[in-house]
Amino acid sequence: MASSRRSFIKYASLAAAGNAAGLRPFGMLNSFAQAGGAGYKALVCIFLYGGNDANNMLIPFDANGYASYSKIRGPLALAQNTLLQLGSAPDFALNPNLPDIQTLFANKTAALVTNVGTLIEPTNRSQYLAGGTAPTNLFSHADQQLEWQNASPSGATTTGWAGRIADTMNLSYNPNARIPMIASVAGDTLFCDGAGSTPVSVSPGNLGGAACSEGATECAAQQATAQALLNFSSGLSLVQADNNITSNAYSYAKTLSDAVQSVSPLQTVFPTGNSLAAQLKQIAQIIEVRSALGVQRQIFFAGVGNFDTHANQIALQGALLAQIGPAMAAFYQSTVELGVQNSVTSFTMSDFSRTFQPNSNTGSDHAWGSHHIVMGGAVKGGQMYGTFPNLALAGPDDSGSNGRWIPTTASVQYASTLAQWFGVSASQLANIFPTLGSFSLNNLGFV
Amino acid sequence: MSRVMCAVFRGFACATLALTTGCATSTGINSPSSPIALASTVSISGASHARVGTTVQFVATISNSGSSAVSWQVNGVAGGSAAAGTISSGGLYTAPATLPSPNTVSVTAVSKASASASATVSEAIWNPVPIVSAATAVQTGSGSNIALDVTGSAFVQGAQIVVGGAAVPTTLVSATELRGTAGPSTGLTTLAIAVLNPNPGAASSAIGNAQIQRLQASLTAAARLLDQATFGPTLNDIQHVQQVGLDGYLTEQFAAAPTIEPDIATPPPAVCATNTILCQQSEWWRAALTGNDQLRQRVAFAFAEIFVISTNSVHAESAIPFQNMLVKDAFGNFSTLLQDMTLSTGMGAYLNMLNSAKPASGQIANENYAREAMQLFTIGLYELNQDGTPQLDGSGNRIPSYTQAQVQAFARAYTGWTYATATGGSPTTFPNNAMNFDAPMALVAAQHDTTAKTLLNGTVLPAGQTGTQDLAGALGNLFAHRNLGPFLCRQLIQHLVASNPSPAYVSRVAAVFADNGSGVRGDLKAVVRAILMDTEARAGDTDPTFEGGHLREPILYLTGVMRGLSFVNTDPTGYYGTLSNYTAPLGQKPYAAGSVFNFFPPDYAIPGTTATAPEFSIENTASTMLRLTLANSLVYNSISGFKLDLSAASALGLMAANPGNLVDSLGVIFMHGQMPAGMRSAIVNHISTLTDPAQRARVATYLTITSSLYKVEH
Repeated sequence: MASSRRSFIKYASLAAAGNAAGLRPFGMLNSFAQAGGAGYKALVCIFLYGGNDANNMLIPFDANGYASYSKIRGPLALAQNTLLQLGSAPDFALNPNLPDIQTLFANKTAALVTNVGTLIEPTNRSQYLAGGTAPTNLFSHADQQLEWQNASPSGATTTGWAGRIADTMNLSYNPNARIPMIASVAGDTLFCDGAGSTPVSVSPGNLGGAACSEGATECAAQQATAQALLNFSSGLSLVQADNNITSNAYSYAKTLSDAVQSVSPLQTVFPTGNSLAAQLKQIAQIIEVRSALGVQRQIFFAGVGNFDTHANQIALQGALLAQIGPAMAAFYQSTVELGVQNSVTSFTMSDFSRTFQPNSNTGSDHAWGSHHIVMGGAVKGGQMYGTFPNLALAGPDDSGSNGRWIPTTASVQYASTLAQWFGVSASQLANIFPTLGSFSLNNLGFV
Repeated sequence: MSRVMCAVFRGFACATLALTTGCATSTGINSPSSPIALASTVSISGASHARVGTTVQFVATISNSGSSAVSWQVNGVAGGSAAAGTISSGGLYTAPATLPSPNTVSVTAVSKASASASATVSEAIWNPVPIVSAATAVQTGSGSNIALDVTGSAFVQGAQIVVGGAAVPTTLVSATELRGTAGPSTGLTTLAIAVLNPNPGAASSAIGNAQIQRLQASLTAAARLLDQATFGPTLNDIQHVQQVGLDGYLTEQFAAAPTIEPDIATPPPAVCATNTILCQQSEWWRAALTGNDQLRQRVAFAFAEIFVISTNSVHAESAIPFQNMLVKDAFGNFSTLLQDMTLSTGMGAYLNMLNSAKPASGQIANENYAREAMQLFTIGLYELNQDGTPQLDGSGNRIPSYTQAQVQAFARAYTGWTYATATGGSPTTFPNNAMNFDAPMALVAAQHDTTAKTLLNGTVLPAGQTGTQDLAGALGNLFAHRNLGPFLCRQLIQHLVASNPSPAYVSRVAAVFADNGSGVRGDLKAVVRAILMDTEARAGDTDPTFEGGHLREPILYLTGVMRGLSFVNTDPTGYYGTLSNYTAPLGQKPYAAGSVFNFFPPDYAIPGTTATAPEFSIENTASTMLRLTLANSLVYNSISGFKLDLSAASALGLMAANPGNLVDSLGVIFMHGQMPAGMRSAIVNHISTLTDPAQRARVATYLTITSSLYKVEH
């Protein structure tokens, strides 16, 4: 079946979305008048490091589609009777390890955005093969991670798109914030860095300050001296950089530990032995104390690795997806518990997808366009967005002959859609997403 | 009596001499209306000078009086004062402890019978006679000046060290220590040393001999080299490097026998019966902390962070031979290392060259090793100049160093390898699931893709070659690529010396990689020496503000503190693996990176800057707090399975009586003797408020090792 797959362009509400984006400044002012979290919004990025094989996350389920999939994928093909069909998109099914996402999709709190990837401008196969403009270092993990995170033509920038949003919005939305707009529970990454913004990093489960065994009085005195030592000028830039980070760390640790002191524990049960769940639980706990932190807008970064399944893919990816689904479901449940489910939108990103053609080692290799999950009460869920690729090797969507799909939706459009929901105004879009103007749509309408 | 005294003592005081002579007489007019009455006169005898802190006995004689009783004053004050000296009722004068200004005082005796009868003498106060208890003479480098350190007592401002009868430039450190510099001596093994205190009363100590200790390196240079070349300086190693010199130390270390980690026993010991990674990590920590081949271990560690494998997905039983391979090959030729690494079961399993079969119809060869071996291990993404900067095309753009098609060609060249048989031979099955972790992978000819492959720079592997031939061709193609030297050397510099080496530094080392001086390319011993002895690596030996250095990654931070403080393992089974529990929260465990991109990528830039600083990618506002917690565990002796002695009776605890000495010692261990004065005084002032010597030692150590000046090795 080499003919084009059905398109799932769900841009009908585009005009409305554009209007809504244009009206957001007024909405913003109104939200300030409200108390507590009423005007609160958060974006939660879940980065799947290593390149998630989207071809085995979202699978054609109709007879012809599945047959073609099965034939080309060979040893990587998942048995059709194990797949989780999507009720509102019955020609597609999810990986058998994602029943939670199936449920969220059915409940219209999750959506799928298909064949998204790094692009500088709309690009088709003939343009690509003719040497047209392509992102820098396609198929390289590091570069493609950075390009998803910075929404720029190359990874060699000093800011990420969340960081630039923080640069733009922090002063107006978080004037009384006691921590930065962006918090990462998976280390500092380019995504989080702005020209004038740096994130607060939090180690899941270690919210507070450093341990000290010298007794309260001496510990306080010792910390005072240690902090004083951070003020010495050494003339060495790396020392200065570490002084800055450490100074911020003392401040944020105090803010966070003070904020959580009187808060009641979340009732939502998160899966244990699940790194993403631990990260998302920590995010939920920070959201719980948003008022004490003085934040109206937050962006969170979480990440989970080992998606680079060049071998033994079915088992490895299956185990990973079996962690992602329950972690995301628990997180959504925690936002319901906190009453912020309509204010928190989560989304996945990943280096790239993987070759549709299997390799000779029970795995697949680095590819390009991928499918992604968005989740939250504000998400127009139960639908697929974008254009599902034509899964033919050397077909119209293949960048070569191994099933490395040329994206039909740019990651910058995906990011821009999330950013507009978050409150980025139309006039600010071009500054934050410099390549967005190359694409006709700046809002995919999924949220 | 008084006559006798006058005769015997210089400075004799007699009734009719003027004050300036040191003698005094006064006439008391008891009754001006009775001119016939004879006036009482007082005279004083006693030595006319006294060295500080010594005593002089004065004697007063009264003529024409029935009473010989007098009262004594110094500078007009009865009984004297601490500043001018004190005098007893019996006339015993005790000179002040330090020289007064002016250095003369007046001593007055007043008749008790007739207050108008008195006498005053001037007493000169002299510097003390210095006493030398010990002297060291250290020459750092032949032909250079000799550093003198003299200890003793009664050294005063202006004291000079006298070497062979001639005074030399001298600095007064304290009343008990002088430092000076003597010119280079030739042929001498000892120096005759004395100390001369200046006028007033200039006086010399006795002359003693100091053995000339000839050192090849300064303390700072020795300690810095050790920070770059080992898992952390120790006092013993610093002394040793000072004695043998930097180059001598490297020569010793190149010759040191490699510490080879033992395979995990079968069945594994109880401590790792259910998880052999624990034993593998234990062996790694032991070798890093205690191996005598520190340079070899450190270079192997750098390679382990370039040629990354991770026990997150690789058997621990493969990680041990992988580490041993790096240790053995660290000082050999890079081509050997490249081949051994490529065929190791650890790398084979991690990047899937292991069991990568000839692609069947509808399949492609596994690209993982092919891609990452170029991108991360040998040539990188862009064509490079020898100084590591990217070449640019006519439009100013970087030039990719390989294409997707070349990745796929290398991928096919690498097909056909699986686990060797138990005896190291080629198996008949593919994949061979009888895992021999120790032997290099073996070829199964039928699973090698024998089609032609076009590699880099136009090199073609012709169709029909064996897997061994294709492998040699592929690795030879990478080894010959001109990117290899700058690409690899820059990363080695980043791991050992500095995050941001200058292009010139990279270029100098890359030139050695290209040719070790004997026409050999890839001589790693020459490369390591070039990295460590480069002027840019050594600049900080004399200039503590020289821009450079790199953040200590958690593993090196932990080993540095533990070696510096002499932690000892106390686990009854000799298990070292607990240490991983202390670095894991900081994002690091040996051989457990999250991906082939290592714990931190080589081009990470500090947010908001363009400064490359790889280790900063795991330094953030969360990890800095966790590192403080680790520092607390270290100084509080809370590292499970290990013991630290910072008690009052420990070496540092004993020093704690003098906070300055304690902090100086920490400055030697942890900061190459370059702790800035402001930091030193802040720590000294802080611990001076504490009374418990053990607590002083703990807190001073904590403040030192948590400072950014320590965390950033520079």
